[in-house]
Amino acid sequence: MADRPLLELEGITKRFPGVVANDDVHFELAKGEVHALLGENGAGKSTLMNILYGLYHPDEGEIRLNGETVRIDSPSRAIDLGIGMVHQHFMLIPVMTVAENIVLATEPHKGPFIDIAGAEKRVRELSEQFGLAVRPEARVESISVGQQQRAEILKALYRGAQILILDEPTAVLTPQEARELFDIIESLKAEGKSIVFITHKLNEVLEVADRITVLRRGKTIETVPREGATEQGLATLMVGREVLLRVDKPPAHPGDPVLSVTDLEVDDERGLPAVRGVSLEVRAGEIVGLAGVDGNGQSELVDAIAGLRKVRAGRIVVAGKDVAGASARESLDAGVGHIPEDRHLRGLVLDFTLAENLSLHDYRTAPESRFGWLYPRKMVAKARRILKEFDVRGGGPETPAASLSGGNQQKVVVAREVSRDPAILLAGQPTRGLDVGAIEFVHRRLVTERDEGRAILLVSFELEEVLSLSDRILVMFEGRIVGEYSPDVTEEELGIAMTGGGREQEAAA
Amino acid sequence: MTERERRPPETPGPAENAPDPEDAPRSFTESVGAWFGTAVGGIAIPVASTVLAFLVGGLVVAATGHNPLGAYKAIFEGTGLNPLSYISEDDRRGAWADLQQTLIIFTPLVLTAIAVAFAFRCGMFNIGGQGQYLVGVYAAVLVGTSLSGTPSFLHILIAIGASILAGVIWGGIAGILKATVGAHEVITTIMLNWIAIYGGQYLFELGGPLQGAQESIPRSDPVMDAVHLPAFPLSTGLQPLHIGVLVSIAALVVYTLLLNRTTLGYEVRAVGFNPEAARYGGISVGRSYFLALAIAGAFAGLAGSLDMLGWKYTVATNDIQISAVGFTGIAVALLGRNKAVGIFLAALLFAALQTGTSARQLDPAVFPPELAIHLSTLIQALIILFVATELLIVYIWGARKRLGFGGPARVQPELKA
Amino acid sequence: MATIDAAERPLADRLRRLTEPRAIALLGIALGILAFWLALPPWTIRAAGIPISVGLLGAFAGLWALMRDERKLGIWAIAVSGLGIAAALWAQGRDESSLQAVVSVGLVTATLRFATPLAFAAIGGIFNERSGIVNIGLEGMMLAGAFFGIYVAAETGSWVLGIVGAMIAGATFGLIHAFFTITMRADQIVIGFAINFLALGLTGYLFRSIYGPEGTPSDVPRIPDVSMPQFIKDIPFVGPVFGDLSVMTWLIIVIVVLSWAVIFKTPIGLRLRSVGEHPRAAETVGISVYKIRYGAVILSGILASLGGAYISFGFGGSFNENMSGGRGFIALAAVILGKWHPVGAFGACLLFGFASGLAQRLQGEADISANLLSTLPYVLVLIALVGVIGRSRPPAAVGRPYVKQ
Repeated sequence: MADRPLLELEGITKRFPGVVANDDVHFELAKGEVHALLGENGAGKSTLMNILYGLYHPDEGEIRLNGETVRIDSPSRAIDLGIGMVHQHFMLIPVMTVAENIVLATEPHKGPFIDIAGAEKRVRELSEQFGLAVRPEARVESISVGQQQRAEILKALYRGAQILILDEPTAVLTPQEARELFDIIESLKAEGKSIVFITHKLNEVLEVADRITVLRRGKTIETVPREGATEQGLATLMVGREVLLRVDKPPAHPGDPVLSVTDLEVDDERGLPAVRGVSLEVRAGEIVGLAGVDGNGQSELVDAIAGLRKVRAGRIVVAGKDVAGASARESLDAGVGHIPEDRHLRGLVLDFTLAENLSLHDYRTAPESRFGWLYPRKMVAKARRILKEFDVRGGGPETPAASLSGGNQQKVVVAREVSRDPAILLAGQPTRGLDVGAIEFVHRRLVTERDEGRAILLVSFELEEVLSLSDRILVMFEGRIVGEYSPDVTEEELGIAMTGGGREQEAAA
Repeated sequence: MTERERRPPETPGPAENAPDPEDAPRSFTESVGAWFGTAVGGIAIPVASTVLAFLVGGLVVAATGHNPLGAYKAIFEGTGLNPLSYISEDDRRGAWADLQQTLIIFTPLVLTAIAVAFAFRCGMFNIGGQGQYLVGVYAAVLVGTSLSGTPSFLHILIAIGASILAGVIWGGIAGILKATVGAHEVITTIMLNWIAIYGGQYLFELGGPLQGAQESIPRSDPVMDAVHLPAFPLSTGLQPLHIGVLVSIAALVVYTLLLNRTTLGYEVRAVGFNPEAARYGGISVGRSYFLALAIAGAFAGLAGSLDMLGWKYTVATNDIQISAVGFTGIAVALLGRNKAVGIFLAALLFAALQTGTSARQLDPAVFPPELAIHLSTLIQALIILFVATELLIVYIWGARKRLGFGGPARVQPELKA
Repeated sequence: MATIDAAERPLADRLRRLTEPRAIALLGIALGILAFWLALPPWTIRAAGIPISVGLLGAFAGLWALMRDERKLGIWAIAVSGLGIAAALWAQGRDESSLQAVVSVGLVTATLRFATPLAFAAIGGIFNERSGIVNIGLEGMMLAGAFFGIYVAAETGSWVLGIVGAMIAGATFGLIHAFFTITMRADQIVIGFAINFLALGLTGYLFRSIYGPEGTPSDVPRIPDVSMPQFIKDIPFVGPVFGDLSVMTWLIIVIVVLSWAVIFKTPIGLRLRSVGEHPRAAETVGISVYKIRYGAVILSGILASLGGAYISFGFGGSFNENMSGGRGFIALAAVILGKWHPVGAFGACLLFGFASGLAQRLQGEADISANLLSTLPYVLVLIALVGVIGRSRPPAAVGRPYVKQ
């Protein structure tokens, strides 16, 4: 490019204890450009952008804005320089209104008091200018994720951002919302804003970016223009070797139903209906994928089957036993295995050793304990066997779970659930936050389990995962099952169903 | 396999997308403490905290015109822990008596500290040791002054059982409130402390339902001779050392086994570390909260009966007001890091401090005892501050730089790349 | 399905809302209170049947609601009605004159007097909790204010300087708390506990060291009352209550209103709340989490110390070891009951003040053990906590140390 780039990151290096997160990274951004930063989880994308936003300080390297070297030591400095960031986990305060969130720290005021009406007016103007529809007086916790994201973008624009960093912006969106976001990006570009788009999704990159910079293990691999780039080529750059984009699996041979849910109704934390009359069946030897946007009742459904949430009405039969309303222990005993969505929150007691974690469900029974008396050595022996079988690396039975890498922690969770030989395995987002190697492991293991006759209910917000693993796909929307598909369905069809489109069509017909 | 999986165990690193940056990090202190505790040895920080607390306490002493070294020396002389006191025949008798006194005070401190530590391991801060101790005292007095004619051994068992039961109830109330409506145990146990204090004063005040035969003194009757705990054969003096000290040491063993070798202990620890994971694992979190506080109350209640049956024999409203065994137990548990050995040593330290600063041991010419009592409270407070803030010690040792690279990865768990 | 006529809807809605179990349960609670009140001045009804029937009505309302799934409030209605009947029957057995002595204007002033120190600490507690820091050291900060306030007042002979002295002491203890919990990221509850111990030891030590066995001098300047003009004093009820209130009582009323405005209506309040809800979000827009938290905790120390000053040289005139007597903890409970809102917390403080005032008067008139009655506020806190928890939401980040990036 002939013009001097708007922003240059030159030789950025950032070390954390034991890890070099960014190693001599180069990145540049031209005015009015959408530049994608592509890489796997852990490649160093977010670290680089946190450096640009003043949240981390680089150990080496410099940042140039319009050719001048700048030192960005805090987010306020970044804001002053016209840099705005939309974080992957929104930096919004749920109990406050959209307008309050947007003006926070730069509040318009009348005398000593906040001018809330003025703030709302300004936000409304901005949202009309950029086509970002959101109600300024709505409380953040009461609006959709897509609207929250728009509030985040407005927050940056309100502060006069010229450069917008979008960190994994589509991770939480439906395909339709993602499409709307791409339109918003186009209009921002038309207004002269420059955008850094962080992602690990190849198709999005090809759709929205002008240029693509690939990061791998903290290093810049290459910057390529969109023209001529292919998914396969980018994937190879990203991972450093050929990758299989689809899971190889033989056809399923489903047996008898192992889990059958009938007219299930479950409430969420606030007491509002989250699951509204769901019926489904999972048979031995098949993987049923539950597709849907986060927050449409999938988590509550899984929790209810696992005995972690009260059931308001309906039946849950696991291997012939009704466990609706049962405790977690009764569900476990009836044959439910459960890989929870969030392994840090639920799956593991990080301060426990691996042996203690592997006994989390079985510490009350022989051989781990007898009459309330624990036999730690028996726990260790069992753990040693399981860790070996599942090839868990980075520690032995007496290592605290906290000191394992994410992939190995997930292996421990999978190992524990599978080794109990459950009738039905509930897998909630089993590959979230894992690198490619660990993802492949989990996927292979799930398919192996299926082939050996286990029933698996898979919940994932990644359409690709659902499509490649499932033998049948159910779509959940607003607490109901709105459609059943075979795995050769297209992403677009699923996307429409996930936003309630399928149901409306049915109703119209 | 990918390179990440070949990394050494202590560098789990940023492969994770930490779910929410703020959920993951524990306090920096905790993380540094975990590393430091194992690397330098769990003993280093408590010892350094103690030394620092005595130094700061010494400053206060000096600032008010007394000689800190002289004061500390005089206090130490009165504890019976100075081996030099046992050389000469003349000193030995006094030193023995002091040591007995230290051990008598040591006994309930160990138990109230266990009451704090056990709840701690279940993720709760039991400030209610004082109230649980007091109801134990009342129960022991009630049983000890009635049921005359019961065989001595049986009578003692009934009294101790009643105290434990009272402690279980007092701790259990906080436990039930926590398990059912989620009332924070810090608030409920504090309220229960005050209810126990004022309720006890009501019981033994002039005209109170349990006031003793002497109508002019707000005090209970002394417990019957039959329920007095036996003293050690060689112990001497007005307050011979009772066998309760053995009970408290046995309690330390029970505490350790209960926590580490029983399914109940497993549940308590799991809930303490991560209640959500415990629930997912099939553990009833509410039940664990209740049991942990009830068992904590049992230990504190036991302390109450050992004091009553061992050497106090009677309780006056005044004693209830000034008693602080339960609060000191918190300091003991914190300094002892909830470990049996740690509690043993910390209880010995605080018991010695209390004996050494008591009016009977301390020469007013060297340091006024009425000041010394407050000085020991002050030092306890400083010890808690410093122990809770291991990081401060790390700062002072200038070790901070080293931590930049050597610390556990949990120090930076919000990393994501 | 037949549609309801649109015009009828609002009326139908309103009727339904009035007959909802929740509304009925609230009615039951009100009836229970009424049952007791009927036996007191100015009504002083002496027929046992009236409070019993009113109370029973309340209990039935509670039962009705209970059976329609309004569990908590239903149980409350039954409990309050039962207590109301019992208390009414007890009151009917008393002399009318002694009842009048208990239930009078004096009770209102006593309520305000007991509520004042609590409210100072509670408002302080709201500021630190809103910033995300738990401060169970309020008790110790009150004690520090009580001692250093009276010390400076006695030394300088000026109550104003005494108040300044108390504020400096409170600010210092707040600073210590802030340093250990914010910069050092130590456990907030443990540090708060240590602060209480520290204040107990330090004030006790200095008190004995400076004043010896005689205690504080008897001629310490006191915080004065505000004497209203005569025409206000002549207004029935209002006059006796507001005629001679302490400067500190007026001050806390002003502070309650002011802190409500600051927290909810000003930029600094928005920032304070953002730090307590989501510190990282606040930091990403350039707010200094540490500065706000330091400020809030120091402010809470200052406010708590003012409450302490009122105890030692406000309505009392002397200092005693541990004279805060658990008020800091009751203030903490008031923060929760008041749902982290200054006005709500002040209301809770008035409730506890009322319990203390009632206890004090009952003890004089009805010959009930002072010690037994002293347990009343603490029992009340326990009961109130059971009722309120689950329906109030603390600031999301409270109690969690913040790690700056």
